[in-house]
Amino acid sequence: MKLGSFEELVLLAVGALKDDAYGVTIKEALEKNTGNKPSIGALHSALYRLEEKGYVSSSEGGATTERGGRRKKYYLLTGTGQKMLVEANEQRMEFAKQIPGFSLKPE
Amino acid sequence: MREYSHPPKWANRFLEWICSPEVIETVQGDLLELYGKRESKKGKSRANLHFILDVLSVCRPFAIKKSRYNSNNYAMFKNYYKVAIRNLMRHKMYSAIKIGGFALGVAACILIALFLQQELSYDKKYADGNRIYRIINQWNESGSEGKWPAMTAPFAGVVRDEIPEVEIVGRLIPYNWFLGGSNLFRNADEVQNTFEERFVYADQEIIDILGLPFSSGDPKTALTEPNTIVISQRKAEKHFPGQNPIGKTIILNDVSDDPRIISGVMETLPSNTHLDFDFILPLASVEFWPGEQTSWCCSNYETYVKLKPGANNENVLEKLITIRDKYYVTYLRDQGNQAADDVLLYRGFELQPVGDIHLYSSDIRDRYNHGDIKIIWMFGVIAILILLLACINFINLSTAKSANRAKEVGLRKVVGSVKGNLIGQFLTESILFSFISFSLGLLLAMVLLPYFNELANKQLQLPIGQGQFIVTLILSMLIVGFLAGLYPSFYLSSFRPIEVLKGKLSMGSKSSGLQSGMVIFQFTASVVLIIGAVIVNRQMGFILNKKIGFDKDQVAIIQGTNTLGDKIQTFKTELKKLPEVKNATITNYYPVSDMKRDQNSMWIEGREEIDISIGAQFWRVDYDYIETMGMEIIQGRNFSKEMATDSISIIINEEMARQLGFENPLGERITNGLARNIIGVVKDFHFESVTDAIEPLVMVIGRRTNMIAVKVSSDDMQSSMNSISQLWERFMPNQPIRYEFMDQRFAEMYDNVKRTGNVFTSFAILAIIIACLGLFALSTFMVEQKRKEIGIRKVLGATVSNLFHSLTSNFLKLIAISLILAFPMGWFTMKRWLENYEYGIDVTWDVLLISGGLILIISIATISYEVIRAVKMNPAETLHSE
Repeated sequence: MKLGSFEELVLLAVGALKDDAYGVTIKEALEKNTGNKPSIGALHSALYRLEEKGYVSSSEGGATTERGGRRKKYYLLTGTGQKMLVEANEQRMEFAKQIPGFSLKPE
Repeated sequence: MREYSHPPKWANRFLEWICSPEVIETVQGDLLELYGKRESKKGKSRANLHFILDVLSVCRPFAIKKSRYNSNNYAMFKNYYKVAIRNLMRHKMYSAIKIGGFALGVAACILIALFLQQELSYDKKYADGNRIYRIINQWNESGSEGKWPAMTAPFAGVVRDEIPEVEIVGRLIPYNWFLGGSNLFRNADEVQNTFEERFVYADQEIIDILGLPFSSGDPKTALTEPNTIVISQRKAEKHFPGQNPIGKTIILNDVSDDPRIISGVMETLPSNTHLDFDFILPLASVEFWPGEQTSWCCSNYETYVKLKPGANNENVLEKLITIRDKYYVTYLRDQGNQAADDVLLYRGFELQPVGDIHLYSSDIRDRYNHGDIKIIWMFGVIAILILLLACINFINLSTAKSANRAKEVGLRKVVGSVKGNLIGQFLTESILFSFISFSLGLLLAMVLLPYFNELANKQLQLPIGQGQFIVTLILSMLIVGFLAGLYPSFYLSSFRPIEVLKGKLSMGSKSSGLQSGMVIFQFTASVVLIIGAVIVNRQMGFILNKKIGFDKDQVAIIQGTNTLGDKIQTFKTELKKLPEVKNATITNYYPVSDMKRDQNSMWIEGREEIDISIGAQFWRVDYDYIETMGMEIIQGRNFSKEMATDSISIIINEEMARQLGFENPLGERITNGLARNIIGVVKDFHFESVTDAIEPLVMVIGRRTNMIAVKVSSDDMQSSMNSISQLWERFMPNQPIRYEFMDQRFAEMYDNVKRTGNVFTSFAILAIIIACLGLFALSTFMVEQKRKEIGIRKVLGATVSNLFHSLTSNFLKLIAISLILAFPMGWFTMKRWLENYEYGIDVTWDVLLISGGLILIISIATISYEVIRAVKMNPAETLHSE
């Protein structure tokens, strides 16, 4: 199963937000950590894909007035999701190590 | 609590419309939350903008409704389609009749539409065509009304000078007049002559008015010099292949001292113009006889005008009347002609738009073969009738078959189909049928087009490649399919499920009122068409077999004999020596169309200043003419060489005698300037179309040498013509012999009439076929429904004839009603049509009997096929399943 780079970032954000991960917070987290502003459409599209692949699970939260009476959909990182993140990270590290005289560790 | 403001409503609606319910819950919530935050941070308008952009960003596959309607609709359509095809396959006979009848109708309509489009396109392409007119003379005396286009020579010049509304005026002579008509044609440096037709005389202004396009030469000056000639592109290609014909010298009729220089090549005239010439001779500096150009005596010039923009036609007509009084009436008074007062009273003018010439000239005497707006209407009506008949078949068959579909309708309703769905289904089906029929019809039209062209003497082509044609076809396909499907779909979809599923629906045992109405309509139309076809054909037969007063058979007319010059008498003598030749005559005047004609004013001698002249044909013939033509002298005697005075004698026809008012005209003297002694009266013969009345005619001895008519005695035309050709070759080695047979020429005169009759008959037959197809299917259906009834009746002792009677009486009643309706309609329409003919047949009762009988026989035969089969069936076979 493959993990796209944007999906990986979303997955990281979901993990980082623990039990407060829903559309708006994930978007804000991504903005804060990457500087990019993903569109809501792109974000939800990624979330649906991740859920389909089983990397995140979702549960519905309460409705609030500021959301026009609509419920929040909270996302949680699943076991597979976590494993996937680790794998992706390791794979990248392994790859980067092959560059001579290059270190990923900060100076 | 804080007031939450709202993002643009339409964007929100759009979001709700596009997203599936699961997605909308979270996404809309997120968007609204973000909106709130952005609004407080960046202001309402920025928040709005972001909101719209975000909404657009949501338009992705994951969010979009797995559109319940769309996909389901598609599935439904697939199902409709499948059911329609299954139905089509299951009831092969109905489907074939439904589609076949429809396709026939469509093919007929396509052909007729092509024909009409071509007829309506005549003379519509000239620049400023709405300002171009042909001036028409009128004679408004009640009882002898008439219209004709020929004007006097100086008329055009006066119109130009005295009517300021006129921009250009020009004259055209499209008659057999001097070099007009046909001539021998050769390149100056060749010796062999070719026969060419379609010569006219015209002013330069004719080219200017009509804007005739030229492929080479200057159209502005082509006809300004005498002794020039303009030829058409196709004739240029024929006589000067691969060369530039401009400046080439040509010789007409072998007269080498009158050469003509080609000054222009015009593009070949299209088939949809009333004009029909390939060669234009200039009228510049032409005078056909001394003083001709300035005399108001003789009308030989068709005059065309182009008015200035915004000119008032009424004013022009008023000024034409002024010209009439100022010049023509003055001329008549100077001549002491008593007609002057009548001219003041009855002579008028008309401006005929050039685009009307082809279709609106049936009452105008010119020499063109015109179309007729009445025929256009007739064919338009026939096309619509045929299409209607085909649609009615469709509707009738669909509703008649309703019983077969009733269970389907009931079941569909039970599982939740609403009326709208069912209407949709049946409309889909009907449009599918329409599509198949139109495709087949188009194919059929393609196959039939060559025959139709032959029948109608046209060169029509299917504009398959044209977008407009395709679009029209598709649109008509949809419209016809929709309209034809409308009634059946409403009818079928209104069944009540409980009743049909219980089997309560009366199984079409009685045809509904509408169904009967449509059958009546079909057969009324068919009977009217049959009556029309019978009468048209009778009238045509009457015309073609009418006693014409001369013997047209076994007469060959040799043409172009003027080039024989002085040898012509020797040639004639030699001809008469041939054993096959009975007689021969030299003249230009023959009683078939498109021959030389001369209209003269005649008076009884000494009464020129008292009486109004009698307009009579003035024919110059030779001593053998009357005998060769097989005409009959009923009073007096023929011209005779022995009588020296016969060179100033005259023979008149009966009509002339009648108009002169002579009981015994022999010995009386009449004059057209030169007084002559009447020595004989010839029995009236038709020298124009048999459809017209015979006009006064006189014959004198004269020398007109363009043609020799030969009466051949032998039955073997071929060998007779061979010996005549050999004789000709001895005299004229450089000029191929050219002849035609008078009976053929005569038949050609009525080609148009005959064609109309044939086309009419064909479409009438087509209409009947379509109507019978429908009747056949209906009767088959009825029989199918009544199979068990027939079985039971048989078991209970009904005879075959009992059953036959009970099964057919219903249809026969409908046909009887149709006959009652159709008889008066056909009768009155055809009576009116026959009024167009001077010599028309009477509509007699037997026409009605024939058409009524015909339709009865055809329809009974149609019904009987299935009925007899059903009636003869062993009842056990139909009943054993009960």
